Amino acid sequence: MADLLIQVRDADGVAVLQPEGFINAHTVRQFEGALEALVHEGRFTILLDCRFLHYISSAGLGAIMGLIETVRANGGDILLCHLQKNVHEIFDTLGFTQLYRVFDTEGEALQCLNRNA
Amino acid sequence: MRSPAEPESFRLVIPSQTRYLNLVTGLAKRAATVAGMDDATSAKVSIAVDEAVTNVIVHAYGGEAEHQVDIELRFMPQAIEVHICHTGRPIRDNEVVLPDPGEYVKHPRKGGLGLLLMSRFMDEIRFIETAEGSECLMIKRVV
Repeated sequence: MADLLIQVRDADGVAVLQPEGFINAHTVRQFEGALEALVHEGRFTILLDCRFLHYISSAGLGAIMGLIETVRANGGDILLCHLQKNVHEIFDTLGFTQLYRVFDTEGEALQCLNRNA
Repeated sequence: MRSPAEPESFRLVIPSQTRYLNLVTGLAKRAATVAGMDDATSAKVSIAVDEAVTNVIVHAYGGEAEHQVDIELRFMPQAIEVHICHTGRPIRDNEVVLPDPGEYVKHPRKGGLGLLLMSRFMDEIRFIETAEGSECLMIKRVV
């Protein structure tokens, strides 16, 4: 199996990016490329569905950090859902849970976006 | 042959290429479990090893693929020690500046997070210069 597989789909007009595997220095370009492609298409609200993400290293966190200002400046955001325990701990340890909106499920994230629309 | 006083250990020497990261981190996670750590703690050891080996490949060797990274895991009585050795540019203890997480949240930026993760997830980190090169030593205690 590849270290990282990425699926992109649409849910209620929101771009959902679902990484499966590991995001580290080896796979980060693939992850960053997928995020950048969405931004270039004008998809500024991106939900990262992390249910199949086994871990993310600082390289991956840097990729998210590198785009957050762009998406927020365009009225969008990067949200996260379905974080596995160890992935949540990485985000929490670095204070990212204060920087990003984190939801237990995709449904909750979409509901929140719809309320704010 | 290992003398009775020496800790049990194993070594893995990889080319300085990020495609081997997953192999190393998987092994580190398993080793932490063998040392008696639970899944959550083993995952932390694995992430810290990912960050440390990445630092060597990307920063110490500047991304050059033809070098080697020597990783040794030692099973101590109440801890696991990870020795990551290389011959690239050394990182000295006094060069290590950890970002303040509170400040980081106020003024987010790219970079500097790897060392912070290493320091949060391991109990001890030291950067050592040896006759052969440089070493990053990380210790995680079994609680």
